[in-house]
Amino acid sequence: MERLLNKLLKFPWLMLILILITSAGFFKIMKSNSRMETDLDEYMPQNHSAFVYSNQAEEWFNIKDGIIIAIENPDGIFNSGTIEKVKDLTKALQSMEQINKDDVTSLYTADNIIGTEDGMDVKPFFKRTPKTDEALEQLRINVLNNEMIFGRLVSADEKVTVIIAEIEDDVFSQEFYQQIVDLGKSFEGPEKIHVAGRPIVEGTMALLGPADMKRMVPIVIAVIILVLLLLLKSVKGTFFTMLVVLFSTVWAFGLMAAFGIPIYAVSTMIPVMLIAIGVADGIHLYSHLHLFLNENPDATQKQAVANMIQGMWKPVVMTSVTTAVGFISLLTSQVYPIKYFGLFTAFGVMMAMVFSLILIPAGIMAFGLPKWKKGAAEKASNKNSFAFTFSEKVIKYKYITIIATLIIVALSIAGIGKVWINSSFLDKFERDSDIVLTDQFINEHFGGTSTLNVILDSPEKDAFKNPEILNAIDKMQQDVDGSLQVVGNSFALTDYLKRMNKVMHADDEAYNIIPESRELVAQYLLLYEMSGDPENLWKVVDYNYQKANLTFQLKSDNSKTINSAIAAIERHIPELERNNVQLNYAGSGYKGLVFTDLILKGQISSLFLSLIIIVGLLSLMFKKFTIGLIGAVPIIITAVISFGVMGLLNIPLSTTTALLSSIAIGIGIDYAVHFLERYKIYALETGDKKSASQLTMQHSGRAIVFNAIVVIAGFLVLLFSVFPPNRALGALVSLNMFTSFLGTVTIMYLWLFVSNIYFNKNKKR
Amino acid sequence: MKTKLLPLVLGLVISSQSALTFAQEKITGLQIIENVYSRPTGTDSQGDLTMSLINAQGDQRVREIKQFIKDFGDSEKKIMFFVSPADVRNTSFMNWSYDEEDKDDDQWIYLPALKKTKRISSDSKSDYFMGSDFTYDDLGDRHPSDDTHKLLREETVDDEACYVVESIPKDEEYMYSRTVTWILKDKWIGLKKEFYDEDGELLKTLTVKKYEKISGYWTILHSEMLNVQKNHSTKMELTNLKIDSGISNDTFTERIMKRGL
Repeated sequence: MERLLNKLLKFPWLMLILILITSAGFFKIMKSNSRMETDLDEYMPQNHSAFVYSNQAEEWFNIKDGIIIAIENPDGIFNSGTIEKVKDLTKALQSMEQINKDDVTSLYTADNIIGTEDGMDVKPFFKRTPKTDEALEQLRINVLNNEMIFGRLVSADEKVTVIIAEIEDDVFSQEFYQQIVDLGKSFEGPEKIHVAGRPIVEGTMALLGPADMKRMVPIVIAVIILVLLLLLKSVKGTFFTMLVVLFSTVWAFGLMAAFGIPIYAVSTMIPVMLIAIGVADGIHLYSHLHLFLNENPDATQKQAVANMIQGMWKPVVMTSVTTAVGFISLLTSQVYPIKYFGLFTAFGVMMAMVFSLILIPAGIMAFGLPKWKKGAAEKASNKNSFAFTFSEKVIKYKYITIIATLIIVALSIAGIGKVWINSSFLDKFERDSDIVLTDQFINEHFGGTSTLNVILDSPEKDAFKNPEILNAIDKMQQDVDGSLQVVGNSFALTDYLKRMNKVMHADDEAYNIIPESRELVAQYLLLYEMSGDPENLWKVVDYNYQKANLTFQLKSDNSKTINSAIAAIERHIPELERNNVQLNYAGSGYKGLVFTDLILKGQISSLFLSLIIIVGLLSLMFKKFTIGLIGAVPIIITAVISFGVMGLLNIPLSTTTALLSSIAIGIGIDYAVHFLERYKIYALETGDKKSASQLTMQHSGRAIVFNAIVVIAGFLVLLFSVFPPNRALGALVSLNMFTSFLGTVTIMYLWLFVSNIYFNKNKKR
Repeated sequence: MKTKLLPLVLGLVISSQSALTFAQEKITGLQIIENVYSRPTGTDSQGDLTMSLINAQGDQRVREIKQFIKDFGDSEKKIMFFVSPADVRNTSFMNWSYDEEDKDDDQWIYLPALKKTKRISSDSKSDYFMGSDFTYDDLGDRHPSDDTHKLLREETVDDEACYVVESIPKDEEYMYSRTVTWILKDKWIGLKKEFYDEDGELLKTLTVKKYEKISGYWTILHSEMLNVQKNHSTKMELTNLKIDSGISNDTFTERIMKRGL
C-alpha cells in the first residue's frame, strides 16, 4: 500500500489532473441527471404489507389527502356574501386542472338528507346563493339540524366554514401551493381565508427543508474553512482538506446520478456526513506533518511526505474502512432511500480516503509544503505541554473521569427511556409559523386536520348491512370520539344510516340510531341511492358491502396522537372479530407512522450490527480483542449520549435525527482508530506508558480537537436555520462531535492506559 | 300519444309505416328526432327488468325488478317492485310523470321493513336513476324542442342504415354540452348515443345490444350505458315483456305498492 502510494506520488501533477478530470465528469453527470424525489410515497417500501393494504384501501374508497380552505367571517357565515364566496371558491377549485371536480367538498357540494312532510329527500343545501333573510335563515337551520354537516363543514360557532379539495399525492408543487394561496387571497375581505391540510404541510416541508439547507450549507462550509485556516494555519492545507470533502461529495452524488437514483430527502444528509467525517483525514495528515516539521525543521518536501504517508496511511485506511462498513450496514434497512444513503455515504467515505492519501500528498509535492511560521510551531509546542498535562490529569483524576462518565451514561440511559418517535410533519415547523397557526385555528373549530382511516373487511357479502356489526362500529366511533380529546369526530356508513333513520321518523332524536333490521338498512340504502348521489356512499363502503371505511379526524398528526387513537380503536377489535370483521388502517398519516417506525427499527438494528462488525474489524486490525472493545467506547458513548439528550430535551426521533446516530459511528471510530494507532506506535517506540500517552495526546489528541472544533463551529451555524429540523441537526452533529472527542481523550484513553495493553506484551518479551 | 326519445326501460317502438311515408327526401335533424319522439307506442307494458351495475373495480350488483307502465294520455304512470336482492324484496317505487310543462313528477317509495310509503321528490331530470349510469332524462323524457338538432351524416352500423344526429341543448347549464345519436332509418330507434360533458369531453356511451319486434312493436331489450370517465357501467335487460296486455288503472296506487307482488 505504502509502495503503491509512493509510486503514484512520483507523478503528483498527473494524479491531480486525473482526479480533477474525473470529478469534473461526475459533476457534469450530477448536474444533468440529478432529480429530487418529493413524492413521499416513493420512499416507502411498496411491498411491505401495511403499505400494500393501505394503498389498496386508498383505491377502494378514493382516500386522498385534502387541502383545507377555511372561510372565516367573525359576523357569522350565513350571509349572502360569504355563502356566495363558498360557491365561487368551490367552483374555482373544481375548475383547477390539478383537482378532480368530484374531489371538492363544501357546503355547496354537500348533500343534505332531510325529512319532508311525508318522506325523505336528499338535495344540495343551495344551488343559487340565497339572498333573502328567510332563505338564509332556512339554510342556517338546515345546516344546524344536520349533524353530518354541522361541526364538519360549518363550525359550531357558525363563524367558519371549510372547503376540502382532495388531491393526488404527486400533484403538489410550489406553483400549485402559490396558486391556492393566491386564489384564497382573492376571496379575502371581510372574510379571512386560511389554507391548511396535510398536502400543504407535506409539500411545504419537502420544499422548505432542502431550500434552507441550500442556503445554510455554504455558510457552514465557509465557517469550516475559516476555522480550518485558523487551526491549520495553512491556506494550502485548508484548500486540499476541503477539496477532499468536496470531491468525495461530488463523486458520491455523481455516481448516484449515473445510476439514475434520485435524490431523496435523506440524501441531503450525505454531504453532512462527508463534511463531518471527511475533514478528519486531512486534519490528521496535516497535523502529523506539522509535528514532523516541528521536530525536523530541515526535512525536505519528499522526506516530509514520505514520513506522513508512512505514519498515517494505516490509520487513514483503517478509519475509512470501518466507517464505510458502518454505513454499509444500513443496507439491512427495508427502506430504499436509507439503503442508498448508507451505500453512497460509504462510497464517499472511501473516496475521501483515496483523495486524502493521494490528493493531499500530491498537493504538497506539486505546490510545496505549507509555510508554517516559526511562531506557529512554538505555539504548537505550547499546546503540546497542555496535551501533556491533560493526559496526566486524566490519569490522576481517573476516578472523577470514571464517575463522571458513569453518571453521564446513567443519565443518558434514563433519557433514552423517554425518547419517542414522531412521524409528524407539522411538528417540524416553528410554533408561530403560519402553517402551524392555521392548523391550530382549524383544529379549534373543526374535528381535526389529520385523518386516520380504519378499514373494516369481512369475507361475507352484505356484512355491513348487518345491524349487529353496524352497532359495533357505532359503539367504537362513540367510544373513540368521546374518550379522546385528540379525536375530533368520525365519519362512516353508520352516520348515513342514523341520519336517514332519524329523518324518516320525523326528525325524532330517539331514532338517531342504527336501524333495527338488515332489511331496513338495505332499504334505506336503496332509498339513498334513489334520492341522492350514491358516489358519496362509495367513500364509506364498497359495492358489495364487504368493506367499510371509517374516518377519524385527529387534532394532530404526531405519533402520540395517532397511537392513542389506535389504542382506543383496538379495544373494539374483539367485538368486530366475533362478527368475522377484520380491522386494518390506511391513509397517509398511518403510513407515515409505520414508515418512521420502520426506519428507526432498521436504524437501531443496523447501529448494533455495525458496532459488532466494527469491534470485530478493530480486533483484527490491532490483533487484540480488548482493543476492539476499547475502540468501541467512543461510538457507544456518543450514541448513548445522543439518544439520551434527545430523550431529556424531548426531541423526538424522526428520520433525520435517527440517521444522526450514523455519525456516532463515523466520527467515533475515526477518533478511536487514530488514537489507538498512535498509542501503539509510541508505546513500541518509547516503551514508556506515560510518554506514550503524552505523545499520543499531543499527536492524535490535537488532531481530534481540531477536527471537533472545525465541525462543531461549522454545524453550529445551522442553529440559525429557519427550519427547526435543520436546527436540531446542527445541534446534534455538534453534540456528537463533542462527545466523541471527549469520550476518546478521557474514558477511552483511560481504559487504554490502565489495560497496559502494549506494555504487558513488551514486558513478556 | 306520449313517446320516448330513447325508449330504453320500456323499449317500445313501432315500426310505423306512416312515419316512413312522412319522411321527406331531405330530412332534417329535428325531423328525425321528432319522428323518434312522436312514434306511437303501446298503451301499456309489463316485464322483468334486470339492472346490473358494474364499478371500475369490476364489482357487480344485480337488481331484479318487475315493472308495469301505462300511458294515461296527459301522464304516464310506472310502478316497480324489487324482486332481488332479498333484503330489498317487495320494496316498490311509483312514478307519475306529466306532460304539463314545469310540473314535477310525483314519486313514492314503499319500504316494507318500515311498512311505510314515503314520497320522494324529484328535483332534476339530471339525477341518476337508482345509482345507475342513466339519468331520468336518458331514460326518456326529453322533448325535441329542448335541443337544437343537426343531421351530421348517414352511416351504416352493423349493416343497418343510420342517421347520425347531433343535439345541442338550448339550456347552457344542462349537464351535457351535446349528444350524438345513431338512429336506425327504418325503425326510428337510437342504436347508439354519445354524451359529452360540460367541458365537451366524452362522458358516456350508450349501446343497444338487442332489440326485437314484440306484439308488433320494435323493442329494445338489452342496452348498456358506460361512463367512460368513471369506468362505471349499467346494463339493462328486459325479459318476459308484454305490451298492451291491458293493465288495470288501479295498479298504480299506494295500496298496490304496499301489497307487493
